[in-house]
Amino acid sequence: MITKADGGAGRPVIELEDIHKIYRVGTELVRALRGVTRTIYENEYVAIMGPSGSGKSTLMNILGCLDIPTSGAYRLAGKDVSRLSQSKLARIRGRKIGFVFQSFELLPRTSALKNVELPLSYARVPKRRQRAMEALKRVDLLDRYYHHPNQLSGGQKQRVAIARALAQHPDIILADEPTGNLDSKTSEEIMCVFDSLHADGQTIIVVTHEDSIAARCHRVIRLMDGQIVEDRYNVASDSGAYEEAGAGTVHVGAAEGAGVA
Amino acid sequence: MNALVAVPRLVWKAVTLPPALLLSLAGNVLTALVQIWANKIRSLLTVLGIIIAVMSIIVVVSLTQGFGDYFTNFLRNLGTNLMVVYPQWLRGPRGEWLRPAELTVDDIFAVDRLSAASRRTAPVIFMQGTVEYGRRQLAGVDVRGSSELFQPIRNFYVDEGRFFSATDVDAAMPVCVLGREILRKLECDESILGDFVLIDSQRFKVMGLLEAKGSFMGENQDEIAVIPWTVALKMYPERRNYMAFYVEAMSEPQIPESEAQVTRALRQRHGLGPGDADDFGIFKQDQILQEFGRVRTVATSVLAGIVSISLLVGGIGIMNVMLVSVTERTREIGLRKSVGARRRDILLQFLTEAVVLSTLGGAIGIALGYSICYIATLHPQMVEVNVPLWSVALALGFSAGVGVFFGIIPAFKAAILHPIDALRHE
Repeated sequence: MITKADGGAGRPVIELEDIHKIYRVGTELVRALRGVTRTIYENEYVAIMGPSGSGKSTLMNILGCLDIPTSGAYRLAGKDVSRLSQSKLARIRGRKIGFVFQSFELLPRTSALKNVELPLSYARVPKRRQRAMEALKRVDLLDRYYHHPNQLSGGQKQRVAIARALAQHPDIILADEPTGNLDSKTSEEIMCVFDSLHADGQTIIVVTHEDSIAARCHRVIRLMDGQIVEDRYNVASDSGAYEEAGAGTVHVGAAEGAGVA
Repeated sequence: MNALVAVPRLVWKAVTLPPALLLSLAGNVLTALVQIWANKIRSLLTVLGIIIAVMSIIVVVSLTQGFGDYFTNFLRNLGTNLMVVYPQWLRGPRGEWLRPAELTVDDIFAVDRLSAASRRTAPVIFMQGTVEYGRRQLAGVDVRGSSELFQPIRNFYVDEGRFFSATDVDAAMPVCVLGREILRKLECDESILGDFVLIDSQRFKVMGLLEAKGSFMGENQDEIAVIPWTVALKMYPERRNYMAFYVEAMSEPQIPESEAQVTRALRQRHGLGPGDADDFGIFKQDQILQEFGRVRTVATSVLAGIVSISLLVGGIGIMNVMLVSVTERTREIGLRKSVGARRRDILLQFLTEAVVLSTLGGAIGIALGYSICYIATLHPQMVEVNVPLWSVALALGFSAGVGVFFGIIPAFKAAILHPIDALRHE
C-alpha cells in the first residue's frame, strides 16, 4: 500500500479499493480493470498513463463518476460513490468533479461566461455570473468572457474549459489528454495553468500518454492490462515533498496482479 | 436502466417539477431559441406542417364565425320569428308541373283568425317591376304588395316620410314606399317624397323611404318598392288565387306551434285528406340557419382533416428534426451530463426545444392566418371577419401539444444516453 510521502500531509480525496470493471462486448467479457486499489490525496498532481487498452480510460470514467465499477469500492472525499444511481452520479459530477477534455467540448454559439456557468446552473447555485467570472479570472480570460468559442484560439478554449471545471470548486480536476489537440507552445501554456492551480491547492489528475506532461506531475500512475504496474513520485523541481517510489510500486502492482489472477 | 421502468419514471419526474425549475426552464427556452436560430432554414421547413395547420384553424374558424354572424344579423334584419307561406306548384299524375295551388286572401284571414301562436300575418305578393321617375327608369326592381304590417313583421322600417296605413290598404290607394337603392339608381334624393313614380306604368305617390339595409350575399336588399297588396291585386288580378303571406310567431319557442296551426288551418280549408301532401310551403328562418349549419359542418370537417393531417406531418417533421438534432449534439449531451446534468435536465431541454419550435410554427401560422383574414376583408363583398381569441388559443395549444407529443421520444432518447458513449461519439 502506498502511503503519502513525508511532508505532504493531506486527507485522501480518492480511495479505490479493489476496483473491477467488466464489460460485455457481444458475447465476450472484457475485464478492463482487474483490481485497482489506490489512494490519491488532497492537492496531489497525478498523471495516469498507459497504452491504449490498458484500462486508463475506464479508470478515468470511474474516477469521474461517469461510470460505476462492477465490484470494489470508490470513496470520493469520504463518500462512497460506487453504487450510486445515474441521477446521484450526475449530482456528484456537477459538484465534486471538474472535467477537462481533449477537444474542449465548449457549447457553440454560447459565450465563454455562459459555458463556465453551465455546471453552476445544473447545480442551481446562486450568483452564477460572479462565480463564473472568478473562474475566468483564474485562467486569465476575464477580458474575453463574452467571446464565443469560434472567436477563441485553441489554448483560450481550453482555458475556458478549465474555468468551467473550476467554477464549482471541485474536489478533483480530471483532465483527459488536455493538450492532445494543442501545439507544444499552447500545451505549455495550459500545463502552466494546471501547475498554478496545483500550487493553489487543487487536486489534479491528468490522463496522458505524453511523457513530457507526466514529467510535470508529481505522481505518475501507470496502467497495463487493467492493473497498476507503476506508481511513483517524481522528484519535482518545485517541491521536495515527493519521493521516487518507482520500484516499490511495480512490486505492489505485481502483487495485486497476482492476487487477481 | 430498464427502459420500461425508466420512461414513466422520467416522465413523471419531468411533470412533477418543483417551481424552482421554472427558472431553468427560461434558460432552456433561450438555449432552444439559439439552437433554432442557428438552423433557421431547417427549423422553418420543419414547422411548415404546423404553420399550415394553425393557419387553417385561424382562417376557417374566423370565416365560419364571420359568416355565422353575418347570417344571424341578416335573419334579425329579416324580422324575428318570421315565416313565409307560399302556394306549392301542383303536379300532374305523371309528375309534370301543372300550376300553383290556390292560396287566397280568405286563407290568409282564416289563418290570422285560427292561429293563436301567431302574432300577426300580412299578405305578400312578390313581383318584379320597372320603376320610372321623370325620364329615368329602373327595371327588375323587387316590388312587394303587402299590408301596413309589413314594417313590424319584416323589421324593415320607413325612416323618412311614413308607411302606408291600413286605410290606404283598404282603399287600395296608389301609394308606395321605396328603398334607398332605388333612389340612388334613379339619381334622385329625398325630395322624391310626395312626388309620383310609375311602377309598371301605374302612378304611385311616394309616401316614405325605407331605411338602408345593405346587401346580403351580394344582393342589395334596398332595391325594393312596397305597395298595398290590394293595389297589387288590381294590377295583377291573376295573382288573386296564388298569394303568399308572412306569419310572425308570438315568440321563438312558439314557431313550431305557429307553423302547426297554420298548416292545420290551411289543410282544413283546402280539404286535404290525411294522405295528401301539403299544397303550400312554409319557409322558416331556421332553414337558412340549417343550410348554414350544414356548410359549417362541412367546413369544420374539412378543417379537422387539414389540421389533423398537417399536425401529423408537422409533428413527424419535428420528431425527425429533433432526432437528427439529438444525434448531432450527442457530444454536447455528454458534456452536459459530465458537468452535472441529470436525465430529466436533458429530457426537459430537448422537450423544451421541440415545444418552442412547434409553438414558433404556431405563431407564424397565426400571423399568416391573420394576414389572410385581413386580405379577405379587403374584398368589397366580403363579410366582416374577426379572428376569435379562442381560435388563437386553440391553435397555440395544438401546436404546443404537438411539440410535447412528438418531442418526447427524441428528448427521451437524448436523456438516456450514457455520458461516456455520448462523449465518445464522433
